[in-house]
Amino acid sequence: MIARIKSEITLWRVIIAIIFVTGLYATYIRFFEGFRASTNLSDQMPWGLWVGLGTLCGIGLSAAGFGISAAVYLLGMERYRPILRASILISFLGYLTVMVGYLYEIGLPWRFWHPIVMWNHRSMLFDVCICIMTYTTVLTFEFAPAVIEKLPWKAFRETVLRYHHKILIAVVLAGVLLSSMHQSYLGGLFLIARGKIHPLWYSQYMHALFYLSAIPAGLALTVMAIYLSMRSLNVRVDFSILSDCGRMIQMLLIVYAFFKFLDLVSNQALGYAFQRTSEAGYFWLEVLLFLAIPIFLLSYDFVRSNPERLYWTSAIVVAGFMVDRLNVSINSLQTAMGTHYVPKWTELASSVLVIAAGVIAFRYAVIYLDILPKMTAKPATRWISNAGVPAQA
Amino acid sequence: MTKQKAMLIDIKRCIGCLSCETACKQLHGFSTAPEPTLSDTAFTVVETRGGTFVRKVCMHCNDPACASACPVGAIGKTAMGPVVYNADKCIGCRYCMLACPYQVPRYQWTKLAPFVKKCDMCAERVEAGKPTACAEACPVEATIFGDRDTLIGEAWTRIRDDSSYVPRIYGLEELGGGSVLFVSDVPFEKLGFKPAPTGNQPMPTLTASALGDSPKVVIMGGTILSALYWVTQRRHEVALAEAEEKATINRSRGKRS
Repeated sequence: MIARIKSEITLWRVIIAIIFVTGLYATYIRFFEGFRASTNLSDQMPWGLWVGLGTLCGIGLSAAGFGISAAVYLLGMERYRPILRASILISFLGYLTVMVGYLYEIGLPWRFWHPIVMWNHRSMLFDVCICIMTYTTVLTFEFAPAVIEKLPWKAFRETVLRYHHKILIAVVLAGVLLSSMHQSYLGGLFLIARGKIHPLWYSQYMHALFYLSAIPAGLALTVMAIYLSMRSLNVRVDFSILSDCGRMIQMLLIVYAFFKFLDLVSNQALGYAFQRTSEAGYFWLEVLLFLAIPIFLLSYDFVRSNPERLYWTSAIVVAGFMVDRLNVSINSLQTAMGTHYVPKWTELASSVLVIAAGVIAFRYAVIYLDILPKMTAKPATRWISNAGVPAQA
Repeated sequence: MTKQKAMLIDIKRCIGCLSCETACKQLHGFSTAPEPTLSDTAFTVVETRGGTFVRKVCMHCNDPACASACPVGAIGKTAMGPVVYNADKCIGCRYCMLACPYQVPRYQWTKLAPFVKKCDMCAERVEAGKPTACAEACPVEATIFGDRDTLIGEAWTRIRDDSSYVPRIYGLEELGGGSVLFVSDVPFEKLGFKPAPTGNQPMPTLTASALGDSPKVVIMGGTILSALYWVTQRRHEVALAEAEEKATINRSRGKRS
């Protein structure tokens, strides 16, 4: 008996348990003792880790869903169909974590619905709220077949999926436009903070840069998730698809690097990168992790075509992306606001809790639903065939 | 038509007696102990910059960054001039605090149901025809209240009549101007007045240009994507038709042989 219990206790389960206990305690502090007890936020740093990590990274890293669905549905790149559902699932869960995070962030969470009925069309944040809410609905719609096809009622299943298929393309198109809008609006949030944001990051094209950087980061996270699923969840994906993703990530990073450089030059901000300031340090960390190292590594075939190497390179991209978003939302503001902000453990613990919940949901979805092709020989019982048309048989 | 009201703060006249601070705190029922900077219980403070007393207070911009930023429209400028906050709408996102170029809005960090706090230029008193509490309390007319146009004239008169004044009214045009005007005998840059990030342009123009582009981008993007989808579909159909044709030919060949 004890031996059996012992065998159930694995390293990851212990880690998950710790994340849940600390995260739930942090959540308790946030909602029952308030911001002062649960955060290091101040009048000088009104937005902190929850916005930087939870919202900016959460939405940005969920960008693969619209990218891959545009590639497959609209551009006919059928090659990526096998990873389509996984990328939509990642986006869907990513947006859900952001929705939950939103309740932590705002001071009056029971008024979360206010932006739906109280409009201010001049506000970037209003547009972000509306776009994210609408796009989460789109993602729910795009992901729904994976659940519906598992329902036991055949007639219901087939009727719903037939109508679903009829409007799918229109919804995908709307989803791509909505994503493009709010991925860039997230950068647009900081446009109004001119004079506060360090020149290495402030630009009148911040929104465009946010958009360009989100897609490679989202792809990198998808590569990571699929690699991990292949390693531990009995899933089989043609690895050359991921290799191609690697190539695509590199290409998109080069495009981003080009425009970021151009932007720095045209704003005459390049000089700030060579000053001895902490901002310059953060900037170079971002350049190294998000751009220099991945672009260099991904140009080698022995990195791209090796699952483990591709995985770690993607991890560097994701880390670099997170550095970028935290730089914009926290580090770039500290000097002008005359403050030094270090998040409290509760901010980190609650963010990690929400992310961990998303990861666990992903794991069980891959196990119980047809997200990625399974290794077992059992024939798939999917109503929608791989080509996206109703199966004839 | 109601005339826009304003406050004129004369830094040269200020004697640092903190009457304005105290009057403000009394009006709002806060403890009257002076505070070093603005807080959720101090909507105005008198700071000392190199021996000069400088009042810090909401500038009540004509086109306020905070009002444009608020996602639920909880902040707005009234016809009389005050920039007021509607606590019933606020969700507590604190974007106004990030947006404000003067770093004025404060948050009730210790409360379980926290709200944004800032000077409302005594909007209710102003509506009732009374001056703001701080202007009423000032013993030396360093802060005066009145019609904005009249006060601008008064400010220029003071500048003209006393050559020690800097020939500039701060708040007249900066970031589109506002309902709080400053005159001073010490250059404003030396008193902690930061250069306006957008010159005389209101801050909301920064967001407006990006938001204004989005309908174009959406229409163009939507058209391009639809076109691409049409091409994809067409290619698919052509490929299908060709395959079918091939199959028919093969079948007929099969029959013949």
